[in-house]
Amino acid sequence: MVRKLTERPSRLAVPLLVLIVLWGFVAGPRIRWIFAAVLIVGTAAAFLTNGRYALRRIMGVVPIMLVVSFLVFGLMASLPGDPAINILGPSATPDAVEQVRNELGLDQPFFNRYGDWLGDLVMGDLGTSVQRRQPVAEGIGQSITPSLQLMAYSVILASLLAFPLGVYAAYKQGKRPDRVINTVMLGFFAVPNFVIAVNLVLFLAIGGLSVFGTRLGLKILPGAGYVEFGEDPVEHFKRMLLPALSLALGQSAVFMRLLRSDMIGTLRLPFIDLARSKGLSTNRILWRHALRPSMFTLLTVMGFSVGALIGGAIITEVIFTLPGIGSFMLESITRRDYISVQGGTLVIATLYILTLVMVDFLYLALDPRLRTTGGGLGGGNG
Amino acid sequence: MVSQIPVGDVLTQTDGPSAVEAAEAAQAGGGAGIPGARRRKKLGPLFWVAVVYLSLLTLAAIFAPVLPLKDYAKTFKGTNKDGPTLTYWLGNDGAGHDIFSRIIYGAQVSLIVAFVGATFALLIGGSIGLAAGYYRRRVDTIITAFTDATLVIPPLLLALSLILFLDPDAERRIFILILVFVLLSIAPIARVVRASTLVWSEREFVLAARTMGARNGRIMLREVLPNVAPALVSYALIVMANLIVVEGAVSFLGLSVPPPTPTWGDMINKGRTDLDVAAHITLFPALAMFFTVLSLNYVGDRLQERFEPRESVL
Repeated sequence: MVRKLTERPSRLAVPLLVLIVLWGFVAGPRIRWIFAAVLIVGTAAAFLTNGRYALRRIMGVVPIMLVVSFLVFGLMASLPGDPAINILGPSATPDAVEQVRNELGLDQPFFNRYGDWLGDLVMGDLGTSVQRRQPVAEGIGQSITPSLQLMAYSVILASLLAFPLGVYAAYKQGKRPDRVINTVMLGFFAVPNFVIAVNLVLFLAIGGLSVFGTRLGLKILPGAGYVEFGEDPVEHFKRMLLPALSLALGQSAVFMRLLRSDMIGTLRLPFIDLARSKGLSTNRILWRHALRPSMFTLLTVMGFSVGALIGGAIITEVIFTLPGIGSFMLESITRRDYISVQGGTLVIATLYILTLVMVDFLYLALDPRLRTTGGGLGGGNG
Repeated sequence: MVSQIPVGDVLTQTDGPSAVEAAEAAQAGGGAGIPGARRRKKLGPLFWVAVVYLSLLTLAAIFAPVLPLKDYAKTFKGTNKDGPTLTYWLGNDGAGHDIFSRIIYGAQVSLIVAFVGATFALLIGGSIGLAAGYYRRRVDTIITAFTDATLVIPPLLLALSLILFLDPDAERRIFILILVFVLLSIAPIARVVRASTLVWSEREFVLAARTMGARNGRIMLREVLPNVAPALVSYALIVMANLIVVEGAVSFLGLSVPPPTPTWGDMINKGRTDLDVAAHITLFPALAMFFTVLSLNYVGDRLQERFEPRESVL
């Protein structure tokens, strides 16, 4: 599926960006994070590719989002139980129930409700939560920052671990260091991340366990809580370190193994021999020549795991009491606040898809060849 | 959507020589990447360790009621937070329960939910994937759209909302758990089967069967399925491992099977309050879960590796 790109770069990207900016203004500040995400992806795309490809990829998100929104809405609508009774409690009078149903529009047919919801959605209105007495978009807006920070830090940490280890393991393939790294990393991969989190708290925050009277562990980091970056940057990083690390360890195992296996392939290519015969140092060959072409599989998977972290870090957020979107969703679910659950799921899914699109554009940054022959090693049409 | 790379695949090569072989094979096959294309690799001793661990755990869980285990719900006076002793093999938790028997009974929940969930998902996801990969065109487009759409929702989030919205009072929690886990696993399994069906249904023997007048249903079941099945079964083990983790997460939040039935996640969570004085309360169930998940992943990976060479023989 090689798509021939035209020679003129970035012509359609400009109107596309104008459209997005306009939409951002019309829809107002309520969806500024999604708006910002689209803007970043769009700009990156315009720089890296030509407009037609960027337009295709970004427009490709729309049908997927339609299916996702339909699934989410359909799922929530088909659940047993009356949301009105959930809100009012079982002792509510039929009249009151009828009134709430009317307010929520529950007496309308399914497709009317879906249409209304979708219409509001485009304008950034995710509905208003009855339980919280607050617009859903506002609640998500408040809780998304810690989650995005957590996601970013954990990916950075995971990369810091995975890149050196992966490159080193590939360089030493089959030898003892390689085997040790591999085995340890398979272990990290298999530990559920809440188990890692609990152990990190045990060994780094509360002083470890005592074996025959000696303490094995440290008491150097706070075990929970969130401090905003603007308030106290040092404290912020101290508090985010453990949660980020607990997510990063499992991820780094995946990243490292992918990088290693691709790198082993790259190191066998002739251009590496050429570099070596030119007398370049091993480090330079590994990091400057071999790394870049070995990163494609890694990038795809990074996209997936970064995307999955946006709403998938529920347990980590609970353990470290971070007020992120995971906690927000968990609270909404336990309070049966279905409007928030609907809206939150959709926002999470949107950010996930945008991350994947972003990864596709990153390919083009990494591999100039793709810019002329057609995009997206990640392939696909969404 | 972007093509998905099964993460399990890249986590397979644990020992050095095989990794080199794999790289050589990949190189020789023009990047086809079939590990161990020429020789059939040995499963290795660790594989059997994992198998033995899993069988022991399964047997213990099945026969828990007849084994001489202590009552998991009984609180033994004066044993709160005690470490391992000869009477209480893995010590006691904060309430004085015997941790060993709670781990065995906790395994019942984890294993049942994961096994039944994965089996049904295999049947449903397998047929969906087979249909999508075989018929292509419109069937494929529709099925892929739906599997892709479910894959963008974080599984734990989906699980939690379904569990709490479907079963708010925890009356039929275990059935709901299984139902939800089936729903969660259908999409990933369907994807894997679809991808592999796409390849196999291009083969000459499928064309041959069609020329002989075989019907689609017969071709799918008799020609394509037997080739897809081995990889599928090993992938199912990895799905089981994932389901055990999800069950752990759900029970960690106290939303799995209600007490007094013990669950691993719940034990880990309860032990957190005593982490500084009696870490074993948390560590033992965590270890049990760790070894189970590790073993399932390892066995699944190894089997997948083992079945893959079929491709190169033809």
